[in-house]
Amino acid sequence: MIDLREKQGPKRIAALAVCISILAALGAAPNQASAQETVSVRLKWLAQAQFAGLYVAKAKGYYTAEGLNLTINPGGPNLNAESLVASGADTFAVGGGTEASLASRDKKLPIVTLGMLHQRTPVVMVVLEDSPIQKIQDFKGKKITSFFTGLQHTVTAMLTNQGMSPSDYSLTAQAVSMTPFINRETDVAMVTLYNELNVLKARGVKVRIFAPDDYGVSVPRDSLITSEKMIAEKPKAVQGFMNATLRGWKYAIKNQSEALDIVMAAAPGLERGHQTLMLQEVGKLMLADTGTTEGLGALNMPRLKAAHDMLLNAKVLSGPVDFNTAFDLKFWNAVPAADKKM
Amino acid sequence: MRTGLGSQLAALIGLLVLWEVGVRVFGVAPHNMPTASAVFRDMAGNMDLIGRGVVRTLSETIIGFVIGATIGFVFGSAFAVSRTLERLLFPLFIVSQAIPVIAFGALVVMWLGNDIWSKVAIAAYLTAFPVTVNTCRGMQAVDPQRVALLRSFGAGPWALFWRLRVPYALPSIAAALKLGISLGLIGAIVGEWFGDTVGLGIMLLQAMYNENLPRMWALILVCGAIGILLYAAFEAIERRWIWWKQEI
Amino acid sequence: MDGPADSAAPPMLQLTNLSKTFDSGHGRLVALERIGIEIGCGEFVTVVGPSGCGKSTLFNILAGLAEPDTGAKILYNGEPRMAPELLGKVAFMPQRDLLLPWRRVVDNAILPLQVEGIPRAEALKRAQPLFVEFGLSGFERHYPQQLSGGMRQRVALMRTFLFERDLTLLDEPFGALDALTRSLMQRWLLDIWQRHQRTILFITHDVDEAIFLGDRVLVMTARPGRIKLVLDVPLARPRPPEMLTSPEFIALKRQVLAAIEEESIKSFQQVAEG
Repeated sequence: MIDLREKQGPKRIAALAVCISILAALGAAPNQASAQETVSVRLKWLAQAQFAGLYVAKAKGYYTAEGLNLTINPGGPNLNAESLVASGADTFAVGGGTEASLASRDKKLPIVTLGMLHQRTPVVMVVLEDSPIQKIQDFKGKKITSFFTGLQHTVTAMLTNQGMSPSDYSLTAQAVSMTPFINRETDVAMVTLYNELNVLKARGVKVRIFAPDDYGVSVPRDSLITSEKMIAEKPKAVQGFMNATLRGWKYAIKNQSEALDIVMAAAPGLERGHQTLMLQEVGKLMLADTGTTEGLGALNMPRLKAAHDMLLNAKVLSGPVDFNTAFDLKFWNAVPAADKKM
Repeated sequence: MRTGLGSQLAALIGLLVLWEVGVRVFGVAPHNMPTASAVFRDMAGNMDLIGRGVVRTLSETIIGFVIGATIGFVFGSAFAVSRTLERLLFPLFIVSQAIPVIAFGALVVMWLGNDIWSKVAIAAYLTAFPVTVNTCRGMQAVDPQRVALLRSFGAGPWALFWRLRVPYALPSIAAALKLGISLGLIGAIVGEWFGDTVGLGIMLLQAMYNENLPRMWALILVCGAIGILLYAAFEAIERRWIWWKQEI
Repeated sequence: MDGPADSAAPPMLQLTNLSKTFDSGHGRLVALERIGIEIGCGEFVTVVGPSGCGKSTLFNILAGLAEPDTGAKILYNGEPRMAPELLGKVAFMPQRDLLLPWRRVVDNAILPLQVEGIPRAEALKRAQPLFVEFGLSGFERHYPQQLSGGMRQRVALMRTFLFERDLTLLDEPFGALDALTRSLMQRWLLDIWQRHQRTILFITHDVDEAIFLGDRVLVMTARPGRIKLVLDVPLARPRPPEMLTSPEFIALKRQVLAAIEEESIKSFQQVAEG
């Protein structure tokens, strides 16, 4: 297909390869930072507005001001933030949330949760607007899909609260795409308030929402975590991370357009319209309940305890988790009110 | 070659027209299958973005390929020359291939972090195996009579290696390189799924989770085009410089 | 330089008591048994025998590629040598041309020189005058696959001649060629030999070829391979093609054929009895 018979062809290719290698090597050379603590934070997912606060804190130099030379490592479908922090590959992480934190402790991973970003369950169940399902009792005998990342227990708990047993409905794993739901292959689907719900809206699909929080189940998500070792050895860095991260979030929620500029610069493949909606929803989740009364990232202990009992009940946890070691409130408490209160 | 290119181009255009007409005539919903024109509109409107992704992913692929091919050549040669080494280490190479890239990728991220080198490592890992096997097999297949002839000229192991074994194995190595560059591209794309902000792999994920189908198809076409071009480049190199067959 | 060398000079190659036994799964196979040969400097000696008489084994030993059984004595230029010491000392041309397909004709021809460490430019300079003589001029830049069988064989011969050693071993070099090409090549080889004054040991299973080319013909027996007959060929050189039908030639041929015949019958009986 390409004619490389011209004499110089392969030499040029070789030269190009060498150039690319050199450029890459230069690009990969670590930045020299003076007397700063080098740390990293692993995101639970790809770079997007869901993590705007961290990108803002980084861009605005909040981490540097706290003496941290921080790298933000995006996650992906194949990575587990909790394991990466437990192994020491990353210092901090925006982890999965309540279930992931408790499950890690249950598996004896030395993970400590420092704060919780989404104060309410960030996922809701949806049905098409013209569906005969009007109230939650109508879920009986229906086909329900859910992300099987631990969130299926939230669904089960929510329906158990309404007097339904797992044999009353079918609950299966949900694909990435919302298309099966739109094509009515399933009756009830799960969406995150900040992503899939916006995808549906963008497609003009009208839905009715059933939020777990309205049915007595609340599972706060997007945890800020670190390792026990880090807390023992470098508490100052941990405090700095908390201060800067919450400060960054406060700025991002107040200045959403600027925050989006920063996120878009970090991950240029994103679609701005979609990210705008994402940041709005994430902001709402963060300011809900204790997010406003106590401050951003607050650990709502009664709510966490309730979620713990639900997971224990569902036998997801092999036994009760010791909250004194799983959660450490002192760092959040020490964050200046000006950085966490809106 | 010219007529071949012409007819291939015609077939490609025919396929695109068929796609466009098919989607329109059968009224396929855009969230199931976008039209070709929508895909190309998305592509044209995002040239910068896609271009940046191409540069990144292509760099990962090529660097990974070069490293993987070098490793494959060195180990393949060592295995061909020394039976002991082959018996000792070759099983490890085979076992390594049984590790799914997903598991291996998570390890690589722990070891190498999130910059370009973790993707390079995965691309290299996928490239190295076929090159090792074909280098080793190609060199082991060397005609013993030709070895005897060169020895009768007083050739030592070094001269035998460079003047006979390497050229003798080249056609089989070249076949592995063609496979390796394609695997390298896959490795680079999959590697980006372990966390990054630029590259075609990450853009594919973003498009998938945002259900941006025109973008997804645009990226699939771009990845396909890169794969075909890399393969064709190696095919051309092979046809021009490595045309002899082993069995002569 | 015709005929045996001056008897005062030591023979170029002297083999005494050379045997070679292969141990296979089924038992021992004696390929060569107590071979004794003397070849003088500049001599053209041909070896003829039935297939399986160990001719190629003998050549492999002389080229240093195989070891004889203990007890063998090889004197090369009057000095005792172990077989591996002969590697790189003898110009060896096996039956197949074994040209390297990725090398052009010229690069195939200079391969032994390059292996010796002679730079390519220097090797090319040495090869240049030989192309005309070997009928290859104009084909220097061709690849082996582009050549006929006869031409490929000439490239292989040229490669052997460029590797200037005291002894040249040729193993049925014309075996695969058609009769006409073959007889042309034979006369051409004699021509080259006389001009370059090389010592040649030449294997063939063609009796005419053996007598036409050789100063001496060695007839070998099959399993175990032994020297059955050593026959001097007193025919004058240069030898024209008509010589093949001369009474002297026919008389020599009869002697060789008789020796071979006797061997064939013996081995046939062995097979029948066994």
